[in-house]
Amino acid sequence: MQTKLLQTVLDSLGDGLIVVDMAGRLLIWNAAVENLIGAAPTALALNQWPEALGLYEPVECKTYPAEQLPMARALRGESCECEILVRTPLTAKSIWIEVTAHPLKDQNANVVGAVTAVRNITQRKISEQEIQRLHDELESRVRQRTAELEAANKELESFTYSVAHDLRAPLRHIVGFAQILEEDFRPKLEPEAQQYLTRIQQGTRRMGLLVDELLNLAKVGRQPLNLQLVNLAPIAERVIAELAPSHEGREVECKLGELSWANCDANLVKQVFQHLISNAIKYTRLRQHAVIEIGKTEVGGQMCIFVRDNGVGFNMKYVGKLFGVFQRLHRNEDFEGTGIGLATVQRIIQKHRGRVWAEGEMDRGATFYFTLKGLEQEPGAQESK
Amino acid sequence: MKAFDAEILLIEDNQDDLDLTLHALKRENLANNILIARDGEEALDFFFCRGNYAERNFDAPPRLVLLDLKLPKVNGIEVLQQVKSDPRTKSIPVVVLTSSKEELDLVRSYNLGANSYIQKPVNFTEFRQTVKHLGLYWLVVNQPAPQGACEPAGQEP
Repeated sequence: MQTKLLQTVLDSLGDGLIVVDMAGRLLIWNAAVENLIGAAPTALALNQWPEALGLYEPVECKTYPAEQLPMARALRGESCECEILVRTPLTAKSIWIEVTAHPLKDQNANVVGAVTAVRNITQRKISEQEIQRLHDELESRVRQRTAELEAANKELESFTYSVAHDLRAPLRHIVGFAQILEEDFRPKLEPEAQQYLTRIQQGTRRMGLLVDELLNLAKVGRQPLNLQLVNLAPIAERVIAELAPSHEGREVECKLGELSWANCDANLVKQVFQHLISNAIKYTRLRQHAVIEIGKTEVGGQMCIFVRDNGVGFNMKYVGKLFGVFQRLHRNEDFEGTGIGLATVQRIIQKHRGRVWAEGEMDRGATFYFTLKGLEQEPGAQESK
Repeated sequence: MKAFDAEILLIEDNQDDLDLTLHALKRENLANNILIARDGEEALDFFFCRGNYAERNFDAPPRLVLLDLKLPKVNGIEVLQQVKSDPRTKSIPVVVLTSSKEELDLVRSYNLGANSYIQKPVNFTEFRQTVKHLGLYWLVVNQPAPQGACEPAGQEP
């Protein structure tokens, strides 16, 4: 009666249960085992199980080594849990099972058998594989899209480069002939004609500047970064000195504060300072006393370099247009420029995986900020190196 | 002096560039003895005394060659390669004068043995200065290889 009740209980379980003695003979099993593996392994010795029942180890799908079966390991006194792939004519299709085995011990703690629970984990395995598949697919799609985007960017940059490059030749011809006209034929030209000639020359000068800056912008995008640990202060200092002739006769005060070292391409970062400081010099032109500050500060928990001026500033409404190619917030008659400088600054900083942004107020000056890797270090921390 | 003996060989296909370069050379009184080749093939005929230049002699090389890189038929790099790899012509000074500042063009030109590489400046005053310096240096300052001292063909180790 007790045995029958026990069997009924066992058969009602969803998980399979197998109990063997030390010789590997089946003592107890339930209906779930037969459902899972197609038959009860009643007449089989333990070492025949893998072959007869179609048990495979899950990674390489080789026949499961009999001595590694959870039940065999449990008989050696070891508790274990593992996954087995079951593929046999007895079962309709392959299934995955999770097997947990424990040694069965008598009062003296001697191993007298093993108890094994078997659970069907096929659905879980299929889900896992599906997740993995989707994950791989997503990754490969991201990789593909990134590659496409990079290729498109590269193409655009090389297009810009070749257009700018090819524009140089006809431009050179116009410049050359206009100058010959001016030098060799000026006395023969009416004053009005001379005027137009001057306008042609102004136009070509501007175009020359545009072409050169476009070429430079494309070059910045194309050339690989030469990253080094660089002390920024001497770079800024050199740029300030180089730009001094551009504000001769004006009262311009350049305050160079404490900067720091950064992991960057020195030539490109020099260009950043050149653009930002020459902008500051340009847009403070109307000030009696122009003040340009360059320093390091913390914004939102992030260290950044800033270049601040007390110039004409800009309306924050247009801040989004500041860094676009050919975007300008001033008329060329008021402040000359090509609209490529800040686009170049942004390209350089983006290439360094940093960030550049600006704050300004009409007639109250502007501040440009940028981040670079390695700014967090204390100034002078590397100087002892 | 025979008709084919030129002090300067100017290899240039673009008429505008040609006129501007000649104008600059004239201004510096350097245009007295210039020969012009309009493509790479014509230039090679000149160098190797072939075709229209069959009457020319290897013993009277130009003192300066101005070479554009973008040329029809045979491009400037190919011209440079042939001139600089032949013992009869390799001592002739060849200055690359081009629009291009492409690193690859620079590297190739120097590797092939160009004597100088100049990017034509957009600014015409600068261009004239450049032409003046070139003429002064190669026609006046520089000492050319002795005539007839070219190694005969085929005897290079």
